[in-house]
Amino acid sequence: MPTPRSGVASVVGPLIWLVIVLAAIDTSPARAEEPEPPDGALTQILDGVHAEMPVGCSKSDVDRLLRVLCAGHIRIGVRSDYPQFAELDGTHWRGYEIDLARAIARRLGVDVDFVAVTPVNRIALIGVDRIDLAIASIGDNTQRDEQARFVRPHYYESETILVGARDLPLSSWQGAEGKTICVTVGNGSNAELWSHGARLMLFGEPSQLLDGLRDGTCSMVAQDNSFFAGSFAQPDFAGSYAAKLSFAPVPWGMVVALDDTKDLAHALALMTQIFHRDGVLLQMAKANRIAVGFLEQQETVWRRPDCNTARGSNDPACILPPLNAELQPTAFADRVSAVETWLATAIGLKISLPMLETAAAWARLQSGIMNSLILVAGALSGTLAVALVFGALLGSRTKVVQWPMRMLLIALQSTPPVMALVIAATIADVVGHYSSTTLIVAAIAALGLINGANAGQAISEAIMTHRVEPISRNLSELAIFTRGVERAAKQIEAFLINAVKGTPIASFIGTPELLNALTDISSFSSERATTYWLLLVFYIVIIMLVVWLCAGLRWFFHRLSMSMPA
Amino acid sequence: MNAFFAQLPPGLLLQVLAGMAVNLQIACLALVIGLALGAPPAFGRLHQGVLGAISAGIVGLMRATPTFVVMFFLLNVIPPHIRLFGMSFTLSGTMIVVISLVPYSVYYVAESGAESIKQLRLNSPLAALLFLPNLARAFFVLVMASSSGAAIGVHESITTILRQAERMPVAGDRLALFAMGALLFGITLQTGFVLVDLLRRYLADLVTRRATVIPMVDRKELYGYE
Repeated sequence: MPTPRSGVASVVGPLIWLVIVLAAIDTSPARAEEPEPPDGALTQILDGVHAEMPVGCSKSDVDRLLRVLCAGHIRIGVRSDYPQFAELDGTHWRGYEIDLARAIARRLGVDVDFVAVTPVNRIALIGVDRIDLAIASIGDNTQRDEQARFVRPHYYESETILVGARDLPLSSWQGAEGKTICVTVGNGSNAELWSHGARLMLFGEPSQLLDGLRDGTCSMVAQDNSFFAGSFAQPDFAGSYAAKLSFAPVPWGMVVALDDTKDLAHALALMTQIFHRDGVLLQMAKANRIAVGFLEQQETVWRRPDCNTARGSNDPACILPPLNAELQPTAFADRVSAVETWLATAIGLKISLPMLETAAAWARLQSGIMNSLILVAGALSGTLAVALVFGALLGSRTKVVQWPMRMLLIALQSTPPVMALVIAATIADVVGHYSSTTLIVAAIAALGLINGANAGQAISEAIMTHRVEPISRNLSELAIFTRGVERAAKQIEAFLINAVKGTPIASFIGTPELLNALTDISSFSSERATTYWLLLVFYIVIIMLVVWLCAGLRWFFHRLSMSMPA
Repeated sequence: MNAFFAQLPPGLLLQVLAGMAVNLQIACLALVIGLALGAPPAFGRLHQGVLGAISAGIVGLMRATPTFVVMFFLLNVIPPHIRLFGMSFTLSGTMIVVISLVPYSVYYVAESGAESIKQLRLNSPLAALLFLPNLARAFFVLVMASSSGAAIGVHESITTILRQAERMPVAGDRLALFAMGALLFGITLQTGFVLVDLLRRYLADLVTRRATVIPMVDRKELYGYE
């Protein structure tokens, strides 16, 4: 008969076996699915490619990685003029991107050939096989994503910063409203600046921004923080200027060709992952004195178990998406492109109409034209109204009325139009909320006052001449005034035309009229020639129309004064 | 008030005056170019037919050309370094403002010049002499208009004032600074107008003293003074 002990033993024994078997069943699959670290995957790729050598070296259409390893050197396109990132000092290359390029070549076991590239040709050179890889401050965006293969994770991230003198009081977007900011054409972040009410002044090259800042042409400039890295490394620059605002972050990616680069891109992605995880990129950045915020953040990301895997570079939770730079086309964008092509092929006229090709630009153009027409109409009516009031008061027989008006006239005549507009905008800002409407009203008031006061002076002088002429002695005051207006019609016409010609100056205070709208469009489309030609033609046509209208107005005043009873 | 003046850097007045010298320089250059380019259409306007029509067309176009837009056109369309007749030129901000003022200058010179020539032909040298004060008036208009250079960062007086204003957080202080700027312009311009008037009187006096064609003239009636 079995004893109780033996009964317990008979239960415990199988239980122990069960636990062992279950443990084995439980742990085996986990071990099989444990994510492979990127280091192993990288070694595996490189070993695989090495195994194809030397036979694969003579084959065509092989992956670029095999070609690089066969050649024993990699051609890397880098900038030669980007302080702290990639600079050529005589024959010596230096900078963060140079260090990264060298680290990649070392890991591949090949030599590196640096090829100087520019923002214009850096992606094109990959396409024509002049370089194997570009590490050249290329922002990863959806548009470029179609032209080349971006290696992700990104090796750096820049953002646009607004730089101005240290004592310039600016800490929020509110302070940028109506201010002039110098930018380079084609910079993707320009749209954000004008959306906050800033007025843009366009330059072709980033170096011109630094010149503008130093010689006082620009009080504020906006550009990539990476561009300013070299300048802020200089104590005198850092002592005088500071970054006021930062916005529009853009991740930077290494770039390879779209075709036959799958292995190369994968190997580079794994290397970047490892460099982030091990703090290699962070150390390089510190050594080159560039901003490290993004790299510190990436180090944390790539140390995470879910990202530190061979598949981490494909995991949306670990990598950053490219910046969405797609602009929605207009419904008639295709037809506009067709017209551009036809003009170029049929008559050799190369024009570009970016204001008609994207929805944002088209909307901006429409509002710009509308606001300009409102300004023109407002400036005309404002000038006329002020002229009549000034004419009546200056031509008054009462000295008490005359003298204050004369003082006001002298003050208005002594104020340059630009300053008058700035004063009007400042008052509008104090009195009401800073908006497009208040700016348009301020501009109309300033233009109306300056031109109307002068026209009013002409009316008052004409009234005076009527008062001394014997023929007018029996005329009523109203009749004298009307005849005075008629006599001063030529002067009134001149100042009405002046007022219309002055409407584009309203752009200086940030009024969203056509000049500002087209400058904004140019700032992100990079097209300037056609845009400014159209602007010039628009205003000349408007002014000619006003000249024609004024002739009609003169005829009207003539008829009015003739019909006026004595 | 003391707090306001404490905000102003010590050399501001000198900087503004130096800027005003740039305004005068721009206006001088624009007027000289305007005289050279405005003279042919001025003579052309006195003719009938094709020559007269072409001159009128040119003057009309110059009149309709807005200075500010021309300035931005030149800034954005014309390359900064240009070669003309084998010589290289760098189009500075100041030159851009000068060129943008030339259409107005040409228009004014052509209109006033044509009127003056007409008066001379009518044997009225006094009326023809009005060309000089008119030219001076155009010069002052050009001085005022040259302040639009502030929009493209030219270092003239308004730019200096606006740069300083940007550093002033209180709107009232900024307005006071603008008023000071307007006062400076006012003193300069009003002095100019007085000088122009004196010149006009002097020339009128000179002409009437030498005139033989209108010996019996009531000077008070004609000039408003004896």
